[in-house]
Amino acid sequence: MEVTRAVIAAAGRGQRTLPLQTLVDSDGTEKSVLCILIEEVLRAGVEEICFVVRPGDEVPYAQEAAKYGGRIHFVHQEEPLGHGHAVYCARNFVGNWPFLHLVGDHLYVSHSRDSCTQRLVRVAQSEACSVSTVQATRENYLPYYGAVGGQRIREKADIYRVESVIEKPTPTIAEQRLMVPGLRAGHYLCFFGMHVLMPAIFDILEEQVGAGDGQIEVTLADALSELARREQYLALEMHDRRYDIGVRYGLMTAQLALALSGQDRDLVLTQLLELLAGRELGRKAD
Amino acid sequence: MNLAGRLIEKLIMSHLIEIITASDPDIRNRSLDAFCRTASRELLLAECTALDEFRRQSDNLYERVRALFFLYAIHRFHLPLKEGMDQGGIIPFDGYMNLLNRRYQEAIEVFVAEQVGEGPNDSISSALAVAYRGLGFQTLADQVRRSVRSVCGNQWMFRTGHPADHPLRVRHELRRRQNDMFPILREVTPVRMDLTHSGWSDIFFLGMDFPEGARVINTSIDLSVRHNGRSTPPAPPVEAYFRVIDEPLLRLTSVDLGATAVVTSLSEIFDFARDYLGLLKAAVIASGIVPPGMEGAGQPLADLLAQLVGPGYGIEIVSRVNDIPKGSRLAVSTSLLASLIAVCMRATGQAENLTGKLSENERRLVAARAILGEWLGGSGGGWQDSGGVWPSMKLISGELSGPSDPEYGTSRGRLLPSHRIFTDDEVSAETRRQLQDSLVLVHGGMAQDVGPILEMVTEKYLLRSEAEWAGRQEAISILDEVVELLRQGDVQAIGNATDRNFHGPIQTIIPWTGNLYTDLLNQRVKAEFGDDFWGFWMLGGMAGGGMGFIFNPLRKEEAQDRLQHIMSETKQELERAVPFAMEPVVYDFSINELGTYAELSVGDAALMPPGYYALIVPSLLRMDMGRLPLFRRAELDRFGEACRNEPELGGMVQMLFDRLLPRELDDGGSVQDLDTLLNEFGFDRMQHEQIRADLRGGRIGLAKNRLPVNSQIEDVTPEDLYDATGGMAEVWHDLGTDAMANGAVAVVSLAGGAGSRWTKGAGVVKALNPFAKLGGVHRNFVEVHLAKSRRMGRKVGKTIPHVITTSYLTHDPIASYLAREDNYHYPGPLLLSPGRVVGLRMIPMVRDLRFAWEETAQQLLDEQAQKVVDGLHNALIGWARQMGEGNDYSDNLPMQCLHPVGHWYEIPNLMRNGVLARLLSVRPELQYLMVHNIDTLGVDVDPAILGSHIDRGSAWTSEVITRQIEDRGGGLARVDGHVRLIEGLALPREEIEFDLSYYNTNTYWISIDRLLELFGLTRAELDDEVLVATAVRKLATRMPTYITIKDVKKRWGHGQEDIYPVTQFEKLWGDMTALPEMDCSYVVVPRLRGQQLKEVAHLDGWLRDGSATYLESLCEWG
Repeated sequence: MEVTRAVIAAAGRGQRTLPLQTLVDSDGTEKSVLCILIEEVLRAGVEEICFVVRPGDEVPYAQEAAKYGGRIHFVHQEEPLGHGHAVYCARNFVGNWPFLHLVGDHLYVSHSRDSCTQRLVRVAQSEACSVSTVQATRENYLPYYGAVGGQRIREKADIYRVESVIEKPTPTIAEQRLMVPGLRAGHYLCFFGMHVLMPAIFDILEEQVGAGDGQIEVTLADALSELARREQYLALEMHDRRYDIGVRYGLMTAQLALALSGQDRDLVLTQLLELLAGRELGRKAD
Repeated sequence: MNLAGRLIEKLIMSHLIEIITASDPDIRNRSLDAFCRTASRELLLAECTALDEFRRQSDNLYERVRALFFLYAIHRFHLPLKEGMDQGGIIPFDGYMNLLNRRYQEAIEVFVAEQVGEGPNDSISSALAVAYRGLGFQTLADQVRRSVRSVCGNQWMFRTGHPADHPLRVRHELRRRQNDMFPILREVTPVRMDLTHSGWSDIFFLGMDFPEGARVINTSIDLSVRHNGRSTPPAPPVEAYFRVIDEPLLRLTSVDLGATAVVTSLSEIFDFARDYLGLLKAAVIASGIVPPGMEGAGQPLADLLAQLVGPGYGIEIVSRVNDIPKGSRLAVSTSLLASLIAVCMRATGQAENLTGKLSENERRLVAARAILGEWLGGSGGGWQDSGGVWPSMKLISGELSGPSDPEYGTSRGRLLPSHRIFTDDEVSAETRRQLQDSLVLVHGGMAQDVGPILEMVTEKYLLRSEAEWAGRQEAISILDEVVELLRQGDVQAIGNATDRNFHGPIQTIIPWTGNLYTDLLNQRVKAEFGDDFWGFWMLGGMAGGGMGFIFNPLRKEEAQDRLQHIMSETKQELERAVPFAMEPVVYDFSINELGTYAELSVGDAALMPPGYYALIVPSLLRMDMGRLPLFRRAELDRFGEACRNEPELGGMVQMLFDRLLPRELDDGGSVQDLDTLLNEFGFDRMQHEQIRADLRGGRIGLAKNRLPVNSQIEDVTPEDLYDATGGMAEVWHDLGTDAMANGAVAVVSLAGGAGSRWTKGAGVVKALNPFAKLGGVHRNFVEVHLAKSRRMGRKVGKTIPHVITTSYLTHDPIASYLAREDNYHYPGPLLLSPGRVVGLRMIPMVRDLRFAWEETAQQLLDEQAQKVVDGLHNALIGWARQMGEGNDYSDNLPMQCLHPVGHWYEIPNLMRNGVLARLLSVRPELQYLMVHNIDTLGVDVDPAILGSHIDRGSAWTSEVITRQIEDRGGGLARVDGHVRLIEGLALPREEIEFDLSYYNTNTYWISIDRLLELFGLTRAELDDEVLVATAVRKLATRMPTYITIKDVKKRWGHGQEDIYPVTQFEKLWGDMTALPEMDCSYVVVPRLRGQQLKEVAHLDGWLRDGSATYLESLCEWG
């Protein structure tokens, strides 16, 4: 099984301009978030990438990704009808193949030589099924993420068979339906923002989009929950870091994380220390 | 002990442990009583040692608890009766303090060490019994608490300690305004009715112990109260409302209690007793809006609300109970709690659907959270109480715990049962209709405290007491029968079955579930409706409140009308003897097929219930409209429009007008009543003002009741008294008998007191309370005392004059009872001695409240209940300050503002009111009075004790008993070298009481002439009112005045009751023994003779330990 296509959703509310922000990547060069994401995806062996954008956003994106030429495609999501609907918009681009899916407002910093997407794609290829990356997350973050419940697969570290998926569950529901043996109390497997999905997801999304009749937002979590009922669907637990650049100070935190894991680490650390020391000394002098 | 001895001991001991640990139900369910009846004292003591060792080592909760209850029962009921058991001993004070502080384990260590050191005796056994029982209940309560916390879906709430970590968000539908109005989510919930009486099998502990027997047929119903024979269509009685508001605070309102509060800090949420909104606060916590883990967090509530709803926003929660009185036995408060929790859970996304029904899983979680909420609020019923969350008729069954349950390995059963809703095949629509057409639901109006009953049941089931265990099996079989009858649709037979259940097993298990009131109602209904009355049906913990009567459907409407009359008439007859909280009511009801259900109102329709506006609008109108939040202004506009256009808001404008411009309250009547009563009952205004001045000046008060701390107070020696427990000399018996035969003795029963521990300040007459069935009939205290005097009079061939002292509180009721009952056919002279002195209660001094609550030893409660009580104490201290310390207490019914002034006055009253003079004119040969408390049930005119009194020539003989743990309040002591009775109030240190071996029974034998001499009077002078009054006043000044704090009930609303502490004073008769010129003797009498029945909760033990049988042996009924 080859994963040669990727879908990146960038049409969400408040999400549309985030990929155009510029950061200094871990290699020390200035790049847009969009480019950092494209490079992350290409490293995993993907050949073509489709961005799901709101009409009108295509031009600045295309300009930013010009150097990747014909490997970048765009489809429109006319109305903000949910994450599931955004993925559904890319069905023609994907065709009948497995694909990698990311969101446009997250950046990832890997703790190992392999990137996060590389490891995900490798697992999906070896298991030949849909795989979502997840991370053990404290329950107070539940209002921000989708979460999965399931069982750890024996002798396969960090891989779980997903039994249920709930979008932004309350801890009340999470405790009843999403408890996973082996996790610390009050921790759940929340989505890390990367998935390799089999084309069967489009059948499910089609049903849900049809049922919603353009009036109800279609979540990806609901579709994944159904997918778990129909076929094998796994979760890969990541120990790396993801950064949501859409939240308050999210972009700054992501920048620091990139800098501290790259070649400018010492420089940035020194500047941070100087900032802190100057502030504290200044306060004392007052 | 040698090896063989230990082996033998071990073999013997294995018997009770074998019962506890057996897997075979036939052995496991064997009765402890059966074993103990034939066991010797030594064998029982050996069993106790083994059981104590066993319960320390066992890991299994129920083995431990059962061993604890076995130990309790052996010490309480069996050891004291065994041959060779010593009477009397010292109970170590530090053990007692451990008991008060709920450190039962430490208490047991102290008491066991005392038992080993001093040898077994009934005093130390009484202390051990209390400690083992306390530890048993504590262990069970801890387990329920652990189970509630560990229910999946509840655990996170105990981990969340900081507002920034709050993982819930209010659903977006509720945050979206329309026309400036926030939507309102309204939850309506039926209450539950128990179709068979579950035999209390749904008590958490019992369901967990014996899940197979824990079954209930539970029906969700809608209700309406009939007024003047009419009612509106039944509706779900409980409603809860939730909405977002644009202020960063929590606003809580209870429409039916007329209370509203604005909460701005986390600590206020956890203060349950601060106002009437404790239930709403418990729901806010148990629903996770303010998770229990945040108790004690110092962050602002606004921070938490910013997480939940958004910065600058808050939440409003409103509850309403539609006209259903408290104590309905329909689990209204649990249903309301569940309704509030459900609406809060929906609003925060913890239920899948914002509106409509809940899923099964969600209902279970609401039920678990309701248990949690009840625990937080310091209360708790059974698991069926949240049955209204489920729809229709269902069978609720206890479940064995499985590997995935938190209870697994700890208890046999799960905390939460399973619910199976009956299908139409099991109960057809026709049967449901017939049931509704036959059953008349009522509230009889009685005030009830079911707490003691639930403890009694738990104890009896865990002990597997024979009769009660058989009763339980029978109740279970009746449940099976009702299930089958429901299938057959035979409602008449169901009536027969519920009737048999009430009169059979239920009263076998707990005789106190029935009472004279319910007996009379049953008789009268039967007499009027004959075969058309198909059966009585008891609801809940005890009868007298919520009850059901099943009739031929053809006569249901007539029965509803007649029951209202029958109940009202019967209540009128009994209301001075039995505590009633309200006028009886009759309901209309229908089966609710939805369970708890929610609807969302948006835009102009998003209004709260009318009662809410009646409460809130007056204060809003007084504010500058410009300062009201936008949404409040919009709401007032909509409300105004609704008042103009919607017929159901018809009277609202007038009501608001009245509230804005309240008419002067016409309370002149009640003030006048109080003054009239004070004049009528001999109120001494000068003395009252003196007491007030002394109280405010700090010259008297609780702390000043005590003797100087350097007083030398010691236990008496055997020479200071004589012992009548082992029988008395024949010569005294003959001497006493002759005196009785010569008409030398009369009995004085002291019945002027309020009996506040018995009636809990309810203002009824303890002496007339039909407390138990004796000789097959409910009897009151007066009748029992007369029956004993009748018997003794007949035995000696001379009737015994009997005087009952009364007070303003008790005189008229006792007089009318005696008239109605024709003096219970008492053959001798029977006189009432009306009180001549009355006191007016006062608002307590804060220093006295603090002294009572903080400086004297108090029973610490369960952790959560104690928090509630501490909060209540703070609120009451605030109340006392607000009302004015030392002011007259007049904010209640006039009779509730008066107080009796202590039994010292009751004997002098005999002189002042002419009763003694009359008695002496009828019986000039009269020489002696036997004076006793109304609740000293086992006392009678014992010829031998009278003989010894005569023989010694004393002016006075006091009866005392050896002390047991519950005997608090002073005793016999040598005080600064003088042997006398001393009140507990007067002891400089509480621990001194525990060094005193003997407790005062308050039974006195008095030589009349010697007493008159003490007053400076003669028989001839008794006719001189002025002389007598002067003599009494003179001696009264030599008697200490004690300041006490008593609880008084204030009733309001639909059966609601508040309890306030009030200050009153009293003088006590036992202090006469402190007079140096009083020539006193003291006699130790058997416990069965001298013990007093002070609390309703002690009735069951009194029945079981042989006291009731002993009493019956003394009585001869008229």
